[in-house]
Amino acid sequence: MDTFIQLTLNGLTLGSVYALIALGYSLVYGILKLLNFAHGDVFMVGSFIGYGALQALGGSANPKVPLWLLLVLVTLAAMVGCAILGVAIERFAYRPLRNAPRIAPLISALGVSFFLAYSVQLLFGAEQRDYDAFALGEGTLFFSGFDIGNVRVPLLRIIIIVAAFVLMVLLWLLVTKTRIGKAMRATSHDREAAAMMGINIDRVIVFAFVLGSALAGAAGVLFALRAPTSATIGFIIGLKGFTAAVIGGIGSIPGAMAGGLILGFAEAFTQGYISTRWSDLLVFAILIAFMLFRPQGLFGRPDINKV
Amino acid sequence: MKRAIMLALVSVVAAVLAATAVARPAAKVSADAQQAVSCKSTLKIALVTPLTGGAGFLGNAQLSWAKYAVKRLQKTYGLRIRLVTGDTPVEQGPAPAQALAQKYVADKSVVAVIGPATSGAVAATSRTYFQAGLAHISPSATRTSLTQGTVKEATQAFFRVVGGDYIQGPSDAKFMVEKLKVSKVVIIDFQEPYSVGLADAAQSFLKAKGVTVIRESTSVKTTDFSSLVTKVPNDAQIVFFPTQQPEDAQTFGQQLLEQGKRAKVFGGDGSNSPDKFKLPGSYVSNFAPDISGFAYNKALIAGWKRDNPKSSLESFGPPTYGAVQVAMNAIKRACNVGKGQIKDRRDVVRNVKRIVVKNWILGGDFRFSTRTNDPLNARFYIFQIQSNGSYKLVG
Repeated sequence: MDTFIQLTLNGLTLGSVYALIALGYSLVYGILKLLNFAHGDVFMVGSFIGYGALQALGGSANPKVPLWLLLVLVTLAAMVGCAILGVAIERFAYRPLRNAPRIAPLISALGVSFFLAYSVQLLFGAEQRDYDAFALGEGTLFFSGFDIGNVRVPLLRIIIIVAAFVLMVLLWLLVTKTRIGKAMRATSHDREAAAMMGINIDRVIVFAFVLGSALAGAAGVLFALRAPTSATIGFIIGLKGFTAAVIGGIGSIPGAMAGGLILGFAEAFTQGYISTRWSDLLVFAILIAFMLFRPQGLFGRPDINKV
Repeated sequence: MKRAIMLALVSVVAAVLAATAVARPAAKVSADAQQAVSCKSTLKIALVTPLTGGAGFLGNAQLSWAKYAVKRLQKTYGLRIRLVTGDTPVEQGPAPAQALAQKYVADKSVVAVIGPATSGAVAATSRTYFQAGLAHISPSATRTSLTQGTVKEATQAFFRVVGGDYIQGPSDAKFMVEKLKVSKVVIIDFQEPYSVGLADAAQSFLKAKGVTVIRESTSVKTTDFSSLVTKVPNDAQIVFFPTQQPEDAQTFGQQLLEQGKRAKVFGGDGSNSPDKFKLPGSYVSNFAPDISGFAYNKALIAGWKRDNPKSSLESFGPPTYGAVQVAMNAIKRACNVGKGQIKDRRDVVRNVKRIVVKNWILGGDFRFSTRTNDPLNARFYIFQIQSNGSYKLVG
């Protein structure tokens, strides 16, 4: 039972991060019908911005501000930095190709992905960066928390899971309860009709990139609090975020959340009960299975073309 | 029909001519590469190591010692040597090492290579160096199959000045059995040759001694080890974790603590980095001891510290000094044989194996084994990480 609880906790932690990344894919796809393959690298940049902010604030061992404020500031720095990066990517890599065949922005997205990864490697080196969260508050994040049976739920995991869920709920409220959210939904439903109704499409698209990239920045920090980051990490994590988005139904916000969690649990339980060798294989087998048997994902709607 | 046959013949002749034309410059390069080089001219030694990337720390340590060795030993051997460097970030696979090998093979003034530093890079380039007769002497590539076994991955032009995993795996396992008195050990490999070889070697020793071994395997790209940690039994004393990324060893150790496991991490030479793997109580093995323990190294270390005041003495650098010493010694011998010229770079290769170094930087005297291009009587050293993060020699 302890193993089950621990693996559930592992899956929930990992899945929360995947869900935040998947939301970025879904937001952009929902509005632009574009698979933004640079999104994983925005996540990576977020983790680097967070690392820079952490160092600027004194580092893990000697932070200049209280622990809670440090975590908030580091996450905010990554979110703001990534939001700006998202706007720049949209402006320079996607907007000029908005009316081009669909393959063009896809290739551009791959180009941006490589550009970001290798730029970061060139600027900061290819070595891994460790937030050393273990040193934060002299191990408070790892050793305080509460127990479920014999399983300790450390504060760091609580922070990651709660922060991810708070961000998801805020996004949900923003999309469903605000004016800009309504504009996003309208644009997603029919871009041309929305434009005719007076919605500023450019503004909506930029806003989607701001939101998606900010979430990727937050995910980058939450991820890097538990594992070292590097310039090339974005590709594989991005691919998993994309898989989560496909499982949930790309374009669907609840779908992205569910997909992320399903993927996190699948990975954790495969590693725990079957073999760590099989986890990536299973993840991508799930992707293929969904593409074959339920391409619209769990929460997506099938594309119906009038014939 | 006739026209078609004629066309085919013309095509074949054209293809043959084209192939000959393409082949000519290559033959010329090869001949150029074998032109005699005067020993009075400036000769080049190339250092091939990861200067950037996750293993950049070891490359930079090697560079500082290689520079120092060249500076210090030029007078001793009466040579003018210029050290050139090639960066092979481990994250980029064998491609950078292959490109560098082509470059150094084509440059006739490069008479020896120090490195490649990693086993994968050696396996990917040794044939290229061998064909050009270029000695490549690694201070850190430890994969057993480079020099041993029925199918060797490296050629006769490859040498290493440190022992291989055939020593490291069993000596780590022996330490676990004899000093740590383990009864249950978890061994993790990363599905790549370095860790699989090392894990296999340790596993067979432990099993032979009756230790319960639980073998796990994960991708080299894994960053969150929590589910792997969940599988570590509470009564396991050691997790043997032969990663090449010291940060991963640190993360794994932290996640063990997070889940309340008592097992200690035991890393191989790939995780030997006091800056990055610093979890107190953990173990790490390496091919080099603390060289300050040998009195005859005192002046040598003092000189290196003068040149590198901000660097601390660690394990990856000193063997590089030894590798440069072996290379320069062999170059000098080749110059003597060629009466002031290196007529063929193979002359350097032929002489490497004959080198004997008294008061070797890593202790004792150095010579190569007569059977393989490995050092004779090499051994591995085991350190335990102390509460202040320092590495203490324990075995």
